Amino acid sequence: MSHGGDFADIYIEKKALNGIGCEDNKIERLNSGTDVGAGIRVIAGDSTAYAYTNDVSFEGLAHAAKVASHGARSEKVRQSIDLTKALAPVDLSVQLRPDEVAIEKKVEKVLEANKHARKIDDRVKQVTVGYGDVIQQVTIANSEGVYVEDERIRSRFIVHAVAADGTLIQTGYEALGGTVGFEIFEEQAPEEIAQKAVDRALLMLQAKPAPSGTMAVVMAAEAGGTMVHEACGHGLEADLVQKGLSVYGGKKGQQVASPLVTVIDDGTIKGKYGALRFDDEGTRGQRNVLIEKGELRDFMYDRFTASKDNRESTGNGRRESYQHKPVPRMTNTLIAAGDEDPEKIIKDTKQGLLVMKMGGGQVNTTNGDFVFDVAEGYIIEDGEVAYAVRGATLTGNGPEVLRKVDRVGSDLGYAIGTCGKDGQGVPVSDAQPTMRITSLIVGGTGGGDATEEQSEPEANKKSKSTSHLQELLHNKRPQIRRL
Amino acid sequence: MSRIDMGTITRKMVELAQRKGAEMSEAYGLDARELSIDVSRGVVETMKLAEDRGIGLRIFKNGRMGYAYTSDLDEKVLEGTVERALANAVWTGEDPYHVLPSKVDRYPQVDTFDPEIGNTSVEAKINLAKEIEAAARASDQRIAITERSSYQDAEYTVSIVNSRGVDASYRGAYCGAYAYLVAEEKGENQTGFALSYGLRFSDINPVKVGQEAAHKAVRMLGAKRIASKRMPVLLDPYVVTQFMGILTPSLTAEAVQKGKSPLAGKGNTLIASPTVTLVDDGRLEGRIASAPFDGEGVPSSRTVLIEEGILKNYLHNSYTARKEGVISTGNGTRGSFRGTPEVGTTNFYLQAGNKSTDELMQDIDYGFYVTEVMGMHTANPISGDFSIGAAGLLIEKGRLTTPIRGVAIAGNLMELLQNIDGIGNDLTFFVGKGAPTVRIKSLPVSGD
Repeated sequence: MSHGGDFADIYIEKKALNGIGCEDNKIERLNSGTDVGAGIRVIAGDSTAYAYTNDVSFEGLAHAAKVASHGARSEKVRQSIDLTKALAPVDLSVQLRPDEVAIEKKVEKVLEANKHARKIDDRVKQVTVGYGDVIQQVTIANSEGVYVEDERIRSRFIVHAVAADGTLIQTGYEALGGTVGFEIFEEQAPEEIAQKAVDRALLMLQAKPAPSGTMAVVMAAEAGGTMVHEACGHGLEADLVQKGLSVYGGKKGQQVASPLVTVIDDGTIKGKYGALRFDDEGTRGQRNVLIEKGELRDFMYDRFTASKDNRESTGNGRRESYQHKPVPRMTNTLIAAGDEDPEKIIKDTKQGLLVMKMGGGQVNTTNGDFVFDVAEGYIIEDGEVAYAVRGATLTGNGPEVLRKVDRVGSDLGYAIGTCGKDGQGVPVSDAQPTMRITSLIVGGTGGGDATEEQSEPEANKKSKSTSHLQELLHNKRPQIRRL
Repeated sequence: MSRIDMGTITRKMVELAQRKGAEMSEAYGLDARELSIDVSRGVVETMKLAEDRGIGLRIFKNGRMGYAYTSDLDEKVLEGTVERALANAVWTGEDPYHVLPSKVDRYPQVDTFDPEIGNTSVEAKINLAKEIEAAARASDQRIAITERSSYQDAEYTVSIVNSRGVDASYRGAYCGAYAYLVAEEKGENQTGFALSYGLRFSDINPVKVGQEAAHKAVRMLGAKRIASKRMPVLLDPYVVTQFMGILTPSLTAEAVQKGKSPLAGKGNTLIASPTVTLVDDGRLEGRIASAPFDGEGVPSSRTVLIEEGILKNYLHNSYTARKEGVISTGNGTRGSFRGTPEVGTTNFYLQAGNKSTDELMQDIDYGFYVTEVMGMHTANPISGDFSIGAAGLLIEKGRLTTPIRGVAIAGNLMELLQNIDGIGNDLTFFVGKGAPTVRIKSLPVSGD
C-alpha cells in the first residue's frame, strides 16, 4: 500500500488435490496436484488492481504487491493495521480427512461404482466414474485488520452412464459432493450413485421426445435448485445489480415473486457443497434472506460492493483460486419449504411437465431470461405421472416465473454444481421444495410441427481447457454446470 | 522476480522419474504471464497481472500411467511430485497402448510470437480498451452500460521433455479485445458483444469492436416472443462456433474408441451436407491456437475432418493413434500443466461458402436469425441432442425484421449437419474456432 490505495488484501492459498477417473472398465487417470500461490488486491476508488503469482517467496509477493499497487493509485496515506486472527463461526469439520485415506481406498470406491453400473443392464455401453478431493488452506489478510486462516475440505463423486439400444444412445448421471471428507460415502454408497445414473440413462432410452410450447411445470424437491440459481440467484449478486446488469436492481422492498416464495442463500449449512466458514475475503459465512414471501429484501455482497453501498459484506465474496479476484457469489441457495403435501401438488395438476432432475442452466441477468435443462422429466396427465420425456429445456424470465409459483411443498432437496461467472468456477449447492409454476416454455422436439427426433441434454461436462480465453468465450453468461 | 529455466527443471524431473523406476516419463512445463484491463465509463475498473507456472509429470510403469503436477517449484516439492506420479501409477489400469512420442528432428515453422505485444506500454493498452467503449457510446446514445470493455494479452513458454528424446520448447503471445454492452430504451435492457483476438497487436481495431457490440445490443431492443413453429434458421458465425464446441468430442478418436461418438463407424460416408468442409489446423497462419507441436511434443498438422460432407478423419493424440494403428494428428491438447493431454482441437473451422448473408436469407419467407444461444453447455455431445435458449431476429420475406428473445431451439447435431442448405462467405474466428453464417433448412422453434 506504499503507493496508495483505499483497501488492500492478500490471499495465500495452498491446495492439494486428488482425482481418480475410471472409464472403459479401468482406472484411466490418477492425478495428484499441489497448487500454491498468492493474490494481492489493491483498491483505489472504483479501480481494482489484482496481481497473482505462484512464487510465494517474500521476493515474489513483494513484486506482486508492487505491481498491484502501481495499478491502483489514490491519495490515501499509509495506515497501520492490527491483525488479530478471527475465530471460525461455524463448524465444518470433517470426519475422515482425504489426506489420511490411502489411495487404494479411494480407488476401491470408484471400482465398486463401475462394477455395479456395468452389471445392471446389457444396454449400458460405457460408464465413467470420477472421484475428487481437495484440501485447500488459505490465509487472508487485509488492510482493515482482518486475518483469517482456514482449511476447506471438499469431496465429490460422479457416475455417468451411456446406454444404447439399436441406434439410440442416451446418457444419465448422478453426483454427490460436499464440504466433507471420505465419510461422503456414508451418505450414499457408490453402488447407489451408480444405480441412479444407470436408471436415468435406461429411462431415457424409453422416454418420448419432449413436447414444445407453454405448459404448467411441477419441479420435484430432488430435482435440485437450478431454477432458483438462474431465475433469481445471479440477479441478486450485488456487482451485477450495481452495474445495472440485473433486472432486480432498484427493486428492494418490492414484490418480485409470489408470496409463497422465500429465497435464502446460506453458507452455514454444514456439509453442503457451497458451505464456508469464511468467504474468500475473510468474512464469516452467513445466512441471508434475499426474498421473503415474495418481497425483495437483500442482495449478496462482497467487501467491494458492500463498501459502495455503505454496508457490511454478506459473506459472499468468493473466488475460484488465488488466480482470481473475489466477486459476489452464491453459496447454498434455496427456496424455503412451504406447507403443502408434494404428492397433492402433482395430483392437482391436470396437464404439465414433472421435472425430477434438473441439469445445468444459464441466465442473461440483464433481461432476466434464463434456461435450464431437464435431466429427468415426465408428462403429467390428469394428476398422474404418465410417461418419461427427454430433450426438455425450460426457458423463462426470472421475475415473471417467480410470480407464477402457485404451489409450494413441505419437502426440500439439494443438488450440487459448479457455478461459472466471470470465468471463475466455484462449488455451490442449491435446493427447493416441490413447486409448481403455472406456465413455462418447454423447448423440445416432440410437439407442434416438430419432428419425432429426440433431444436429451445433459450437463455432466467439465470444461476441458483451462484457458481463460476459452472460459471467457463460453461462459459469457453466469451459468451452472452439474458435475 | 527471478526467471526460472523450465527446460532445466523439466529435464531434471524426467531424469529423476527414470532413476526412480519409470519406464517412460514426460514433463510439461508452462510459464505464463497474462495482463487484462477492464474499462467502464472511461475508468480502469480492474487491471489484472497474472503469473502462472508449473510442471505436470506423466510417468508410465508396468504399462500403467500416473500423473502429478505442481505449481510449487521448490526442489522438495518437485521431488515429491515425481514420487506421487509414480505412486499413482500403481493403481491405474494396465494398457498396452500407452506411448510417448519419440524424438522429432524438425518441427514446423509456426509464427506464435509478436514482440510488439510486450513492447507496447500498459497505457497504450488501457487506451485501446477506452477507445472501444468510446466508439460504442458514440455510435448510439442508447448504449447505457458497459458491462466490460477489455484488453487482454498473454505471453507464455511451453517446454516438453520426455524420456524418448523429445526436448522442445516455444514461446507464444497473443492479444485481444472485447466488449459486452447494454443498450437501454424505455426501461428495457438488451446486451450485445463483439471481440477480436489474434497474434498481432496492430490487428486489433477498437472502433470496429465497439461499434459491432453496440449495433448488436441496439438491434435487440423491443425483442418479442413468437409462437412455436418449425422454420428455416440462420445461425450467425459465433453461434455456429458454439455448436462446433459440442461437435468436437464426437470427432475425437477417444470418443469413437469408447463408444461415445455418434460418428463412430461413419468414416468415408456422407454425414453432413456436401457444402460442409470442417478442418483443424494447428499451423494456421496468424491464429492463436497455432503452435509447432501439441501438448505431447507431436508436430502440429492440418487435418480435414469432414470434406464436402464426407467424414474423413478423427482427431488423434499419441494414445488413440497407437490404439488405431495410425499416426497422431498432433491433437494431444492440454490447457495447462494441471492435467493430462486429451484429444482436442487447435484452430478448428468450418470452411467458408460463397453466399453473402443477404443471399442466404433472400428466399426465406418466415425464419429465425439466431445471434445468441444460452445453455449450450447442457447439450449432449454423446447423443448429439440439444435444446437451448435462443435470441435473434425474425426473417420475414427475405429481410431481418423484429428482434426475438426467450425462445428455445432443439434438435440433433447430426441432423443439423445434414440440414445445412447454405454457407456464408463470412468466415470469422472466435479465438480457436471459426465459422461463417450457416443456413439450416428447418428447426423447431419453441415459444408461446
